[in-house]
Amino acid sequence: MLRSTSPLLSLFAFLLVWGAALVSAVSTTGNRLLAVFDDVGEKENYSKFLGDLEGRGFQISYETPKSESLALFHLGERAYDHVIFFPTKTKGLGPNLTPQILVNFLNANGNILHTLSSTTTTPNTLISLLAELDITLPTERTGLVVDHFSYDTLSAAETHDVLALPPPVPVRNDISPLFSADAPAGQLLAFPHGVGAVLGPREQLTPILRAPKTAYSYNPKEQSEVLEANELFAAGQQLSLVTAFQAINSARFVLLGSAEMLQDKWFLAEVAAPGGKSVKTFNREFAKRVSAWAFQELGVLRVNWIEHHLNEVSAVNESNPHIYRVKNDVTYTISLSEYAYDKWTSFSLPANDVLQLEFSMLSPFHRLPLSLDKAHSSPEASAYTASFKLPDQHGIFNFKVNYKRPFFTNIEEKNTVSVRHMAHDEWPRSFVISGAWPWIAGIGATVSGWVVFVALWMYSAPTDKKVGSKKTN
Amino acid sequence: MRWLPAFLTASLAFASGSLAAKKTSEERFNSFHAKSIASSSAAPIKLSDASYREFTAQPRDYTAAVVLTAMDSRFNCQLCREFQPEWDLLARSWVKGDKSGSSRVLFGTLDFADGREIFMSLGLQTAPVLLLFPPTVGPHAVPNPEPLRYDFSNGPQIAEVVHSWIARHLPDRPHPPVKRPINWMRWISTTILALGSLTASYVAWPYIVPIIQSRNIWAALTLISILLFTSGHMYNHIRKVPYVASDGKGGISYFASGFQSQYGLETQIVAALYGLLSLAGISLAIKVPRISDSKTQGVAVLAWGGIFFVTYAFLLSVFRGKNPGYPFRLPPFV
Amino acid sequence: MSAETLQVLADVGKGKSTRGVLRVIILALIAGASIASRLFSVIRFESIIHEFDPWFNFRATKYLVANGFYNFWDWFDDRTWHPLGRVTGGTLYPGLMVTSGAIWHALRALTIPVDIRNVCVLLAPAFSGLTAVAAYLLTNEMTTYNSAGLLAALFMGIAPGYISRSVAGSYDNEAIAIFLLVFTFYLWIKALKQGSMLWGALCALFYGYMVASWGGYAFITCLLPLHAFVLILMGRYSTRLYVSYTTWYALGTLASMQIPFVGFLPVKTSEHMPALGIFGFLQLLAFLDYVRSAIPSRQFQTFLWLFAGGIFVMSLAALVVATSAGVIAPWSGRFYSLWDTGYAKIHIPIIASVSEHQPTAWPAFFFDLNLLIFVFPVGVYLCFQELADEHVFIIVYAVFGSYFAGVMVRLMLTLTPVVCVAGAIAISTILNNYLVAKTPTEEDQQAAEAAEKKGSKSGLKSATKPVVGIYGLWSKSLMVAGMAVYLLIFVMHCTWVTSNAYSSPSVVLASRMPDGSQHIIDDYREAYQWLRQNTKEDAKIMSWWDYGYQIGGMADRPTLVDNNTWNNTHIATVGKAMSSREEVSYPIMRQHEVDYVLVVFGGLLGYSGDDINKFLWMVRIAEGIWPDEVSERAFFTPRGEYRVDGEATETMKNSLMYKMSYYNFNNLFPPGQAVDRMRQARLPEVGPSLSTLEEAFTSENWIIRIYKVKDLDNVGRDHISATAFEKGLKKKKTTKKRGPRVLRVD
Repeated sequence: MLRSTSPLLSLFAFLLVWGAALVSAVSTTGNRLLAVFDDVGEKENYSKFLGDLEGRGFQISYETPKSESLALFHLGERAYDHVIFFPTKTKGLGPNLTPQILVNFLNANGNILHTLSSTTTTPNTLISLLAELDITLPTERTGLVVDHFSYDTLSAAETHDVLALPPPVPVRNDISPLFSADAPAGQLLAFPHGVGAVLGPREQLTPILRAPKTAYSYNPKEQSEVLEANELFAAGQQLSLVTAFQAINSARFVLLGSAEMLQDKWFLAEVAAPGGKSVKTFNREFAKRVSAWAFQELGVLRVNWIEHHLNEVSAVNESNPHIYRVKNDVTYTISLSEYAYDKWTSFSLPANDVLQLEFSMLSPFHRLPLSLDKAHSSPEASAYTASFKLPDQHGIFNFKVNYKRPFFTNIEEKNTVSVRHMAHDEWPRSFVISGAWPWIAGIGATVSGWVVFVALWMYSAPTDKKVGSKKTN
Repeated sequence: MRWLPAFLTASLAFASGSLAAKKTSEERFNSFHAKSIASSSAAPIKLSDASYREFTAQPRDYTAAVVLTAMDSRFNCQLCREFQPEWDLLARSWVKGDKSGSSRVLFGTLDFADGREIFMSLGLQTAPVLLLFPPTVGPHAVPNPEPLRYDFSNGPQIAEVVHSWIARHLPDRPHPPVKRPINWMRWISTTILALGSLTASYVAWPYIVPIIQSRNIWAALTLISILLFTSGHMYNHIRKVPYVASDGKGGISYFASGFQSQYGLETQIVAALYGLLSLAGISLAIKVPRISDSKTQGVAVLAWGGIFFVTYAFLLSVFRGKNPGYPFRLPPFV
Repeated sequence: MSAETLQVLADVGKGKSTRGVLRVIILALIAGASIASRLFSVIRFESIIHEFDPWFNFRATKYLVANGFYNFWDWFDDRTWHPLGRVTGGTLYPGLMVTSGAIWHALRALTIPVDIRNVCVLLAPAFSGLTAVAAYLLTNEMTTYNSAGLLAALFMGIAPGYISRSVAGSYDNEAIAIFLLVFTFYLWIKALKQGSMLWGALCALFYGYMVASWGGYAFITCLLPLHAFVLILMGRYSTRLYVSYTTWYALGTLASMQIPFVGFLPVKTSEHMPALGIFGFLQLLAFLDYVRSAIPSRQFQTFLWLFAGGIFVMSLAALVVATSAGVIAPWSGRFYSLWDTGYAKIHIPIIASVSEHQPTAWPAFFFDLNLLIFVFPVGVYLCFQELADEHVFIIVYAVFGSYFAGVMVRLMLTLTPVVCVAGAIAISTILNNYLVAKTPTEEDQQAAEAAEKKGSKSGLKSATKPVVGIYGLWSKSLMVAGMAVYLLIFVMHCTWVTSNAYSSPSVVLASRMPDGSQHIIDDYREAYQWLRQNTKEDAKIMSWWDYGYQIGGMADRPTLVDNNTWNNTHIATVGKAMSSREEVSYPIMRQHEVDYVLVVFGGLLGYSGDDINKFLWMVRIAEGIWPDEVSERAFFTPRGEYRVDGEATETMKNSLMYKMSYYNFNNLFPPGQAVDRMRQARLPEVGPSLSTLEEAFTSENWIIRIYKVKDLDNVGRDHISATAFEKGLKKKKTTKKRGPRVLRVD
């Protein structure tokens, strides 16, 4: 993540990056995309989707799991930036794609878009990978999501296994609606022959598209006749059809429940919800957004620069000093940008969400909302700032911005500063403190009294021996 | 403790389940609490097999603190006898401090003589044992009803320590502090003694003065204390070292092996050696030059010089014993 | 040889001037000897700072030299006690650093370029030379024999009791403090004898220097009032006492209050109350003295004395009340534990845990003072002969010094000077009696008998008769020869002790190879160098507090706790992290931003000073703060043993310290043969496993092991399952779960 000490410098660097972004309009983490098919021929079904990707500047290379040449890492470096898995019939994915390798791929900032299909069983490799991510698939590695209330009347009047859903809305109202923003009203999303997953409580997980309340998942092979309640894998909104996982290093993993929804025919098809008129599917736009998010084109945040300085009159306001004094007034500013497909734009907080600054040692001493300051903002970057008084406690503190939201790059910025105690000459002088006046007066009285006494003593001649002898000893 | 198993087997015969009381916890608490505040000597409540079961029966909305002890002299359980008064004091001051019973705590004591079955059912091998039964219902209820056991591992406990332990496990309730009764007898006796000594000293003043002012006495005191301190007496006092220890072969070893350890007797021997050496030194420095007769003086020089030499040599050898590899030695102890 | 030849010998150096010259030369030689005898460590190893505290002093001195005095004064040290930091400038005794800083600047001014480290290393020996001179001066105030002074200087110079803290490289406060102690006492005696303000002021000046240098100044603060008090009780109140004491107290207290670390303690804490009390009492006495001289009436005087006594008692009571009311701080724990010797062990384990706070066994006394330890009483006894004020001082000092030395090993240091002085007095008396050429004649004898008839005034029984002298030449020569032998043994003893016991810089360990050659074990510096070169500038190192100063000084990395144990809770936190399970320790380490953990492990080498041996102290200190979470009991087997082998308790085996110490240890041995050579324990078949830490560095002899604290798992698993997954263990199916399903709430 780009960080620099002086705003100017960082602005310059930032412009460089921005320029770079212009020439190849593509993901922020690179454009080498690997698509994994059983046989490469299948890619014809996805020509539009893949075409869109190439249109967005991705260089796609196609492989099958079996091929010897397939390797995610070359000499310890990532050979690809992103991977798409299309459904494969094989039981495992072979030695080149073990779960360990895939996790390492995530740890190395690689992104994975993984598609499922109820027609093919999912390879063990991916099952155990999902297990590591706290995502659970139906037993027997397959399942089918059906809904008898919101299905596509045109294609699946009988089987009810093609869901026709409205574009997804965020699960919480402080999450930005990346996937449903400005979608035309009445648009429907076709979700044919999909598999639903159940998500664990892990915070990195967020459902992009949840099944409607009336949907449920069953296993067509075994449970075709009757489905007992305790056999039910999951139902309703617990079923996540499209799932987003963002690791701590912001590497992204998307589990797309239905591969078919990316196929050309569903891009073009028309669907109709029961009792509704038929409309063109929203799939193409949705696929674009989901893939864009997965491959770091959407919801990518960047910290351009962080700056904090002394906010006091008669003080040298150098930028980012390493040490402050207790009860100093300081100002902290952080500049953020958001990436949208091909350019960096200024980041504006979602409605009813705030960006917070913590000033903490062991535990926060301050937790303040950062407010937008226009002065340092530009179309490409927006600066957020807060000014406050340091606590009356010396120690080693951190300016900490910890902004982790679903669908946004994790931002955890820590700037360490020392807060020192009052130096010996920074206290108010004694004569300024009214409480000290009596003591000062006392000192004065003693001194003058002593001087007077000495004077008297000197000028009073000894009367007789006795006094003299007293004086000497 | 060795005594218990025997008595457990003996008491197997008497083993018979006593019926737990069918009262509600509220009633039980009230009755016990009333009993305990009835008279100052009633707290902690003396329990038996039956009343113990009732005392700690579930569900309970109060905390029950019970000491299982063995006061009978047959068991010569020193710890029990040391701890019992502290426990009584703690219980009394708590109950006195909280007459209304708002802290919902009951204090009880179960002696082995009255509660063999309990001891047996708990499989206790040692005494005393302090159990704290948390409430299972009511505002202070805790999830697991198992009693907490106080750790007597490090010696006899004083009331304050136990109090702090109990208080720690009774959050958000009043904890009446331990109030130690003022020991009037001691105060009176001390004052009387002080006055007596004052008068005595006043009467005996003329006789005391020369003693106080005698240089010899002060010199003697000074030297003795110096010898005590420099011969490691404080170490004995702090570390509570044994007086002598036996070497493996039935005899006693006077000198501890090792540089950092010593025995009581050892230090006394060393002090004696130092004393002897100092005495010799003093005589040689002060007495001998003042002997006016040349013969006696010669003898004195010889005698004291010899003593000094031999004692020093012996000291060196002793030290070599403590610190092998110490190279220096004097005849005759080579 | 005959009396004539002796006479001739004695005639040499009769003249005053020659004697003076001789004396100066001898003193110079003694100073040289005392410096030389402290250089063993430099010759054997190298010019290096020793042990623990000196490393902090060294670091502070470098800071002072680099940043100047005022920055040093206001120094906020953000590389220790992370993240609290330490107000170092206000919590140290600056005397030592300022001294060596001044020396360094002086040498620079003389265009002698010298490394500050060498100044620090050689400061202690240099000051030991001065100490010898100070001892000479002090002793000369006690007796008329000049030989006594020279002997005292010699003893002071080479007594192991003092060398133990002042060999080259042990750059600690004591290095200069002992000189200041002795010299302050000398000035005090001088002031008392002459009753002069000048000497009193000088005494106060050096007292101020002492306060600036060492916490042990409290010893002076209590001894001088005690001396004055004893004198008063002996009815020896005099204007001399009044002048010298009041001068010293007024100026000395002012001086001491200038040190930020001391501040207002002199008027607030119990340690300083005796001085204040005697000060007030002397004012009262002076007044009464004046009144008495004005109104000469017997009863009135007795009344006055009773009045004085009454006031004294009342003020004492007032002091007690004020203390209990909290107006005056009670004895600080460290100080109080000197009186109530059981106190520290119960209430302040952190003090009891320090080895130099242990009581002293008798061999230590003999080891440190050899023959002086029993000649010392002789000297004290001689002081009773003519009981002048200064002799009273020696006696009081002797009694209290030996008490403190008996209670705490390190206070042997404060005892040594008085031992040297008294011993010198004794031996010089003997030598002066036996090392004279003239033999007593008839008339001497007559005179003696005549005097004896009259009886003498000296209070001591043994000294009632007048001195005659020694008759036989042979007895003289016998005694002199004996004394010569003893003194020779003393010198050899001191040299032996110094070279064997006190000259190793516990940073570098020396061991003997089978063939007797010396083998240097340099793990500490190896590890600290590794830290310095392979870790971030601000990587926080967590270790037990013993190593804090060394890490700060040698590795220059921030530490959580160090040897300045000002914050017990913080230390207890580290203790808790060390003695808890990984799941408990990890959050603590995250919260304190720990990057590396350093442990000392002696199991391979049989090195006794390792962390497993200190472990129980960590547990105790942690238990003091979190009695519910850490319990010492849980580290002992049911049979009450402290074990590390298969029998060790679960708590022990799961504790972070145990895991870090024995991690991978049994890979060194054939299976099942792993043996801890320190504790002679056979370790279990499978060693401990670590999931939140990874081994970063282990030194050559495994004495120091450094672990890196892992970051949070990238995909949000807990570390145990993450490591299991890395090992390729299959995660068991969690689909068929019993009981109610856990629903996810968004």
